[in-house]
Amino acid sequence: MTALRRKRKPLQWVNLIAPLAVLAAIFLVCEIIARTSGISEYILPAPSKIVTGVWNKFPADISPHFLLTLRVTLLGFLLATALGMVLAALISQSGLVTKAVSPVIIWLVITPLITLIPLLTLWLGYDPMQRVYVVVIQATPIITLNTLNGFTNLDTEKKELAKAVGCTKLQRFCKITFMNAMPQVFTGIKLGCINATIAALSADIVSGNIGMGFKIKQYIKYNNIDLAYGSIILVALIGLVTYYIVESIEHKVVLWKN
Amino acid sequence: MENAKLRAKSITKSFESDRGERTLVIDGISMDIAEKEMVAVLGPSGCGKSTLMKILCGIQSATSGSVELDGVDYGRELPRSILRKFGFVFQGDNLLQWRTAEGNLRFILETMHLKGPQWRKRVDEMLEIVGLLQYRKVYPHELSGGMKQRVGIARALVHNPEILLMDQPFGALDAITRRMLTFETLNIWKETQKTIIMITNNVEEALLLASRVFIFSPLPARVLHEVAIDIPYEKRDGDVVSTPRFLELKKHLNELVRSTMAGGERS
Repeated sequence: MTALRRKRKPLQWVNLIAPLAVLAAIFLVCEIIARTSGISEYILPAPSKIVTGVWNKFPADISPHFLLTLRVTLLGFLLATALGMVLAALISQSGLVTKAVSPVIIWLVITPLITLIPLLTLWLGYDPMQRVYVVVIQATPIITLNTLNGFTNLDTEKKELAKAVGCTKLQRFCKITFMNAMPQVFTGIKLGCINATIAALSADIVSGNIGMGFKIKQYIKYNNIDLAYGSIILVALIGLVTYYIVESIEHKVVLWKN
Repeated sequence: MENAKLRAKSITKSFESDRGERTLVIDGISMDIAEKEMVAVLGPSGCGKSTLMKILCGIQSATSGSVELDGVDYGRELPRSILRKFGFVFQGDNLLQWRTAEGNLRFILETMHLKGPQWRKRVDEMLEIVGLLQYRKVYPHELSGGMKQRVGIARALVHNPEILLMDQPFGALDAITRRMLTFETLNIWKETQKTIIMITNNVEEALLLASRVFIFSPLPARVLHEVAIDIPYEKRDGDVVSTPRFLELKKHLNELVRSTMAGGERS
């Protein structure tokens, strides 16, 4: 029986080490180019300088901004995930509603909703936490869209199984449709966490004087290009770490997909 | 036949296409199946035999005619309350891939609200019957095709139905596994005393399992022949396939099947 189970251990090490090696190579190449080519440090600061700069500035200068953006991203992302899934569950209950609403959701996914930020500022004021709404608005549609696809793509045989055992509508949704849609649900959530990061940073840049977006703008303004680069990487890390957390949950839940 | 367990009464079924054309799939089929009997349905592929099977167990509704169970006429579609009397083995294994082997069996018990230690025990018993008890915690994607189909059979039996319907259950399996599962089905039938209807496209399988074989026409399905298999069940084992009576019946059935196919091509 154990022989049937896939052996995962050796593969996981390669999965971890290979990307790190690529990362190290990029770091090294940039470092060499920055030091030897004579490219201005306003264009390409040495990676080592970025790291030490951020290291020194983080505790006092960057951390309040970082923590705000982190809070906005995570809170918005969690709300968007819950909202996106609930909306998809409700919409999928009716074929007519699904057909009617789907184009609107696609329309919302495509529209860059950061353009609404000035409007939202007008309506809601300057409280930095209102950026959570921007994140929710930007991340929810993509989660709804993918989850809805999952909920409405149940194959005939599974529907027949539900019919054969006399499932109620609720049983069918909870025990078959929902679980069957898990791969698509996770695709939606992962896209949602990318969108949430982008939305949080965009909101920072457009309005207010706190947040990583504001900080990056400020660093560029005062020619601290290395710190600007470092801050961009820090923001990317928020998205990256959330993405990997979601993915590791996916591996625990969606066992049947390799 | 008097005291039929399950009776199909002149069932017809037609589907309407998107362009509004009606296709007749089943053309007035009547069948009587006795209690604890095992019958087989042979027919060309795409002849509507799966559809009939799904009408008999309430997955689909008939266009006209009715289904009678234990002498009660339920009309064109079986009500939800008696679905529990049926177990269905699907053509593909149709397992829930997010549940283990025993989880797939428990799914049936959960939806039918069958709780308690006796049902928990029954999950193990059914996996034991199909020889998969030690695989109860294994997910479908880690099982072979034959094992998955065995889980499918255990799942169809777990709620202790009175009638087991099998829709070409071994069609996707290799010849050796297929033969093995045919004999297992025979043993399960002897052990559990269910009424079994099995669709197959394999003449030998029908001969080994059925007391009667129904041969269907090409679309729209009608019962063209009904052949009684007079080989006693206690003699049906690995050696029976080379006995004169078996070979004679096999030849007869093959000829009948071939003639229906030819008839289908002409029309």
